[in-house]
Amino acid sequence: MSIIIFLILLICAWQGIYWIFVDVLEVFKAYALPSPIGVGETFIRLCKNGTLFEATGYSLLRGIEGYAIAVVIGAILGLLIHHFPYLQKNLKPLVLGIQTLPSICWVPFSILWFGLSTEAILFVVVMGTAFSIAISVDNAIKNVLPIYTKAALTMGASKRQLYLHVVLPASLPELITGLKQGWSFAWRALMSGEVMTASIGLGQTLITGRDLADIDQVMLVMIVIVLVGILIDKCIFSVIEKRVLRKRGLIS
Amino acid sequence: MSLEIKGLHKHFDNNESATLNDINLEIATGEFVCIVGTSGCGKSTLLNLVAGLDKPTDGEILLDDAPITGPGADRTVMFQEHGLFPWLNVIDNVKFGMKMSGVPKEVQEEKALYYLDMVHLLDCKDYLIHQISGGMRQRVALARALTMDSKILLMDEPFSALDKQTSNQLRTELQRIWMETKRTILFITHSAEEAVYLADRVVVLSAKTGQIADIIPIQLERPRQVYDPDFVNYRHRILDEIKEDSVE
Repeated sequence: MSIIIFLILLICAWQGIYWIFVDVLEVFKAYALPSPIGVGETFIRLCKNGTLFEATGYSLLRGIEGYAIAVVIGAILGLLIHHFPYLQKNLKPLVLGIQTLPSICWVPFSILWFGLSTEAILFVVVMGTAFSIAISVDNAIKNVLPIYTKAALTMGASKRQLYLHVVLPASLPELITGLKQGWSFAWRALMSGEVMTASIGLGQTLITGRDLADIDQVMLVMIVIVLVGILIDKCIFSVIEKRVLRKRGLIS
Repeated sequence: MSLEIKGLHKHFDNNESATLNDINLEIATGEFVCIVGTSGCGKSTLLNLVAGLDKPTDGEILLDDAPITGPGADRTVMFQEHGLFPWLNVIDNVKFGMKMSGVPKEVQEEKALYYLDMVHLLDCKDYLIHQISGGMRQRVALARALTMDSKILLMDEPFSALDKQTSNQLRTELQRIWMETKRTILFITHSAEEAVYLADRVVVLSAKTGQIADIIPIQLERPRQVYDPDFVNYRHRILDEIKEDSVE
C-alpha cells in the first residue's frame, strides 16, 4: 500500500517538475522532457495500435529463448569447471573476468557474425548471461555441506545418485539465486542487442521513440522494460525461491 | 569376527606426530564398542578411516575379511550433526539409504515405519526437518542408520551436540534398541559415562602416543544404572585413564 502512495507522489512530483521547467521557466523544450500525461497518452496510443503488446511479446520470447540457451551452456560450463581442477584453476578466473564485461561489448561481434538479425540479439543475450550462470553453478555445488555428501556416501550412494539426490537438491537455493541473477543479466543484454539491431521488440520501440523525437515513447518503453523485469522476478523467481527456502525452514 | 583393524597408522602432512599409531582392534559381530579419549586423540580420525572417508597411512581395516577401500552402505555413519537432508521430510530421510541401494518401495515404507516406531517418531513422519527438535533429528538419523542393515554402525559422538537431558534420554533408547537389534556398533564419545553405559568394551585412545592406552570390558548387566557402584567404579577408572593421558 505504502509503495502505491509513494508512486503516486513520485508521479505528482514528476508532473510538477515538468510544469516548472518546461511551462514556467522554459529551460527545457517540451520534446526533451517527458511528462506523466504525455507518457500516459503514448501508452494508450501504443496499446490501441498493438505496438506495445507486440514489442513486449517479441522481446519476452526472445529473452526467454536466449536465457534458456544461456542456462544450458552456463550449466555445462559450470559443471565442467567444478569437475576438473585444471579448469577450476585456469578457466574460472577467465570466466569471472569475462562476466564483468558489459553485454553491449558483444554487440560488434554479434553484428559482424550474424548481421542485423534475431540471432545477433540471442548471441548478445547468451554471452551476457552464460558466464554468470556458470559461476553460480560452480559456487552452488561447492557450497554443498560436506556432511550431506558424507552421509550419502556412507549410505552407499553412487556418484550419479550423489549428484542427483544430494548435490542438486542441496545446491538448489543457491542455484535459484544464480538463475534469478542470470535472468536480470539476460534481460539487460537483450535490450543492448535490440537497441543495436532492427527486429521488433521493446529495444526497437525505444529507438523509434528517439528517431521520432518522441521522448514520451522513450520514457514509456523504459518503464515497461523495468516493469517486465520486476514482474518476471516477482512472479517466477521469487515465488520458487520462497517455496524452496520455506520448505527448508530458512525463512518463515 | 566383524571388523579387524591391523597395524593402523594415520599421519597428517601438517602434523609431525602421528595422530594414530599402530592401532590394533577386533570387533565381534553384535558387539558394542566405545572409543573414548581427550579431544585430539584421533578417535574421529579412526572412525573416518573405518567409514572409508579417509585413507590410512599404513595398516589395514578388514570388514568380514574384505579390505575397506571407500565409503559404503555396509558401514553407515551417524554423525554428530544429524546429516539429515532438509529438502526431504522425516520419512523420506529415513528411506534415503534404502532408496540408494534399490530396496523395493513397499519394503522401504515398511522398514521406515518400523524404525520410526522404534525411535518413537511415527507421529512425526511427515514433518520437515526444521520443524523438529535437535533430539528428534538425531532419532531420525538413528532410524535412518538402522534401516541400512549395515554390518557395522559407526557413531561419531551422535549425542554430544544435544543438551544433557536429551542426550541421556537418547542413550537410554540406544541401549534398548541395541538390546532389541543386537547390531554391531562402533561408538565414539568423549564421555566416560556414556561409554560405560553403552559399551561391551571401552577402548581408551591416548592423545600422547596415538595408541590404544587400554581396553576395558564392561561386565555389567543391561539395562545399566548410572548410580550402580560398579558403574561408578568403571566410570572413575576410565576418567582417570583419560586424565592421566591429558596431564603433561
